[in-house]
Amino acid sequence: MKNTAAQGAEDPILQWVTFRLDNETYGINVMQVQEVLRHTEIAPVPGAPAYVLGIINLRGNVVTVIDTRQRFGLGSAPITDNTRIVIIEADKQVVGILVDSVAEVVYLRQSEIETAPNVGTDESAKFIQGVCNKNNELLILVDLEKMMTEDEWAELQGF
Amino acid sequence: MIDMAQEMTKSLPVQQFVPEQTIQCYLDSLLQDAAQELALAEQQTQELAPPVQLEVAPVVVPAEPEPELEQELLVEAEVALSTDAEHVPPVFEQVAWREEPFEALLFDVGGLTLAVPLVSLGSIYPLEDEITPLFGQPDWFLGILPTQAGNLKVLDTARWVMPERYDPALRDGLRFVISVQGYDWGMAVHGVSKSIRLTPEQVKWRSQQGKRPWLAGTVIEHMCALLDVSALATLISAPGARALANSR
Repeated sequence: MKNTAAQGAEDPILQWVTFRLDNETYGINVMQVQEVLRHTEIAPVPGAPAYVLGIINLRGNVVTVIDTRQRFGLGSAPITDNTRIVIIEADKQVVGILVDSVAEVVYLRQSEIETAPNVGTDESAKFIQGVCNKNNELLILVDLEKMMTEDEWAELQGF
Repeated sequence: MIDMAQEMTKSLPVQQFVPEQTIQCYLDSLLQDAAQELALAEQQTQELAPPVQLEVAPVVVPAEPEPELEQELLVEAEVALSTDAEHVPPVFEQVAWREEPFEALLFDVGGLTLAVPLVSLGSIYPLEDEITPLFGQPDWFLGILPTQAGNLKVLDTARWVMPERYDPALRDGLRFVISVQGYDWGMAVHGVSKSIRLTPEQVKWRSQQGKRPWLAGTVIEHMCALLDVSALATLISAPGARALANSR
């Protein structure tokens, strides 16, 4: 029993919410996910940066929705029945990220996560926290905090 | 995973993406580079060799020189030696396989035949499983291939080896990934051919100071370029790969 507890402390199990974008599976820390919404009307904001799709009304609160595909350097895709807005908390802000679909919650040991290749030249490469094989599939784990620069997070507060 | 020995015995079809003339032109340029380097190295060696002999000799056999003259000669000898060390082209890393006959695997990348010493190779993986691309990575990084031995980072070999002749259509014909011994990197290739035995004399060795440090040399007899995959893996694993990627 003690051994198990010690092992757990050394190699914690983390939960990740997985979502799909452009046929690849990504994971984000479950502790940062507040809820998952079906696609709803997103009101565009004039003058907003390209990575901001617009805002939604979430039970009386205004939430900014980020264009995840644009942020990850992927092409745009049509909205489908599977499209979801994942409400997350990052950098002390609540924002939504638009994804192709939400898959499941997976449990990963810290030791199962491999560091991402360090060859990326693009700013977006910094978002990748690590990769992990799960169910014969490669999961790309995303560091939400790094999805925006400090200036961009500050800019988001203005919406 | 494919057994290397089994794989080497059969010749796999190679799709010709690049016209023969282009490949010939590329190989010619590699051979030309190697020849130029060799000529330069020989020239520098000839230019620098005499001072060492002339300056060192008197110091080794002092025929009762006057104290001042002896001091002068010593200083000159030191200067000559240090100058020599700075100018002689650095000898490439002496790797054991370069000094004795070795087995090399021939494979095809976009119609270009490349050879790699077997000792530098890990396994050959058929590209049945999809390579998972990662966003924000350089174009020569295809993505990650999960294998039994772990996740393999896959290099678009064609784009790395001949960026100026790269055709995006080449990406569709990739059939195998050859992993590099001791690294978590693999090279995506279009076909695996056979193994050959090479002697050091058959290879026109190349200095690693050129713009292609991964090119160990060229083998005219087989019209192929011999890769130093360890140098290649070191190069792309190093933090400098980012800068290199930008300049490509």
